[in-house]
Amino acid sequence: MQAAIAAMAAQTVIFSATQSSSAALCSFPNLTRGSIAHSSFFGVSVKPAARQAFSLAAVAQRPMTVVAAAKKAVAVLKGNSAVEGVVTLTQEDDGPTTVNVRITGLTPGPHGFHLHEFGDTTNGCISTGPHFNPKGLTHGAPEDEIRHAGDLGNIVANADGVAEATIVDSQIPLTGANAVIGRAFVVHELEDDLGKGGHELSLSTGNAGGRLACGVIGLTPN
Amino acid sequence: MGVFVRSTATIAAVSLNPFSSSSSTSSTQSSFSSLTFKPRHSSFLSLPPFGLVNSFTPLSAATMDPPASHQSEDGASLPELMTEFMVDMSCDGCVKAVRTRLQTVEGVKSVEVDLSTQVVRVLGTSPVKTLSEALEQTGRKARLIGQGVPDNFLVSAAVSEFKGPNIFGVVRFAQVSMELARIEATFSGLSPGKHSWTINEYGDLTRGAASTGKIYNPTNQEAAEELLGDLGTLDADEKGEAFFSGVKRMLRVADIIGRSVVVYETEDKSVPGITAAVIARSAGVGENYKKLCTCDGTTIWEATNSDFITSKV
Repeated sequence: MQAAIAAMAAQTVIFSATQSSSAALCSFPNLTRGSIAHSSFFGVSVKPAARQAFSLAAVAQRPMTVVAAAKKAVAVLKGNSAVEGVVTLTQEDDGPTTVNVRITGLTPGPHGFHLHEFGDTTNGCISTGPHFNPKGLTHGAPEDEIRHAGDLGNIVANADGVAEATIVDSQIPLTGANAVIGRAFVVHELEDDLGKGGHELSLSTGNAGGRLACGVIGLTPN
Repeated sequence: MGVFVRSTATIAAVSLNPFSSSSSTSSTQSSFSSLTFKPRHSSFLSLPPFGLVNSFTPLSAATMDPPASHQSEDGASLPELMTEFMVDMSCDGCVKAVRTRLQTVEGVKSVEVDLSTQVVRVLGTSPVKTLSEALEQTGRKARLIGQGVPDNFLVSAAVSEFKGPNIFGVVRFAQVSMELARIEATFSGLSPGKHSWTINEYGDLTRGAASTGKIYNPTNQEAAEELLGDLGTLDADEKGEAFFSGVKRMLRVADIIGRSVVVYETEDKSVPGITAAVIARSAGVGENYKKLCTCDGTTIWEATNSDFITSKV
């Protein structure tokens, strides 16, 4: 486990430590498409260290699959002010999703960055629903065991107001029951206290203030 | 088991998997088929032998919406759908007023009102626009919070929002049966006249409409037939406003999540559209009773689609 995290950390800014449980969830539906003999592989996949080998094996043994090896999605974020940006998502097979964020026009410093359940902003923040939270947990940091799947922590804008981040997370797959396609990213005015601020809102929203910009996650060619 | 069904549907959406197993549209065309031969769509109808694939049934492309416009000339109405509103009610009298007003709207079959949650559920064939206007006429604020046929579909509602700077609009999709989806759209800021509009395969707006790919057509129908993602034309009035309410056969809302709606300058779809918006997940009935945006304290009555705060750079 530690080795896996260390290896990933070399290329990532944020990494979720809870990938083992969600990896099992994500890959479970594949049992219906593949043969039952695959079950042994999924048992192995619970160990993050075996992920690489597992992924390759799964590709080779899934004749039914129509999902390309690398799945991609993109969201263009806009608000009323100068804040705008592009977020791209890529996922290899049932592995973690890599989120590349570039948002400009921000005040320097940290800004809460969340994924909401719905991509509907016809009633603003209300119609986007709560943070994407298929497990029904409280708000937390991306690396916490107890968090919303949509809790992606903070992105930090530099002195020029540009925030660039690469987030690798296992709870935001591009396919399956908990797919994030069609949901919305929201970047907030303030820092997300990651559930630890002691404010009455800390355990629901991270007390991150109003919305600066948002964008719906759309499909893009692989 | 439910989990498997859900994931399969979603994977299909992402992978462009043809959902063709049930595309035999030849069985029953019922009253809808006659409508598909409206002259307005003759350009799409000239080639398919029986118009079977031309499943789009525009029931009201008129800009303004007279009370009975959801009824087409020959009486075919929109399929029934549950629409859920949150209405600013505070007393039993309000409940009565809201119920009474809605029950006079043509096409409304039943009305459920819960004062404690301020939730009003309307089952019927009326367009959302007509229902919203009726609720506003009671003098109370009303917000649409969910749409769909309860419990039947994991993904029953979707919305596509056009946020300017010139063209604004909202397109709502709701699954009413396995083979039928309702579509309702309002637009402003268009040039007067006809505009083609389509569902395109990608929801990639990095280059606007130019990066949304081709018209969505999961079954790879032959070129001569109408593509599933072809929504026909919008008729914008002299003020640049357009309203549309209709149904689309064989369209599955779950399969178009993350794709886009594209509007064109004219009826010509051979050039890229002039605006596009991603098709987003929207709440089904009972899925979102959020009333307060806890991030900044905005209530549902204050919320709008552009209530962003301004970055203090």
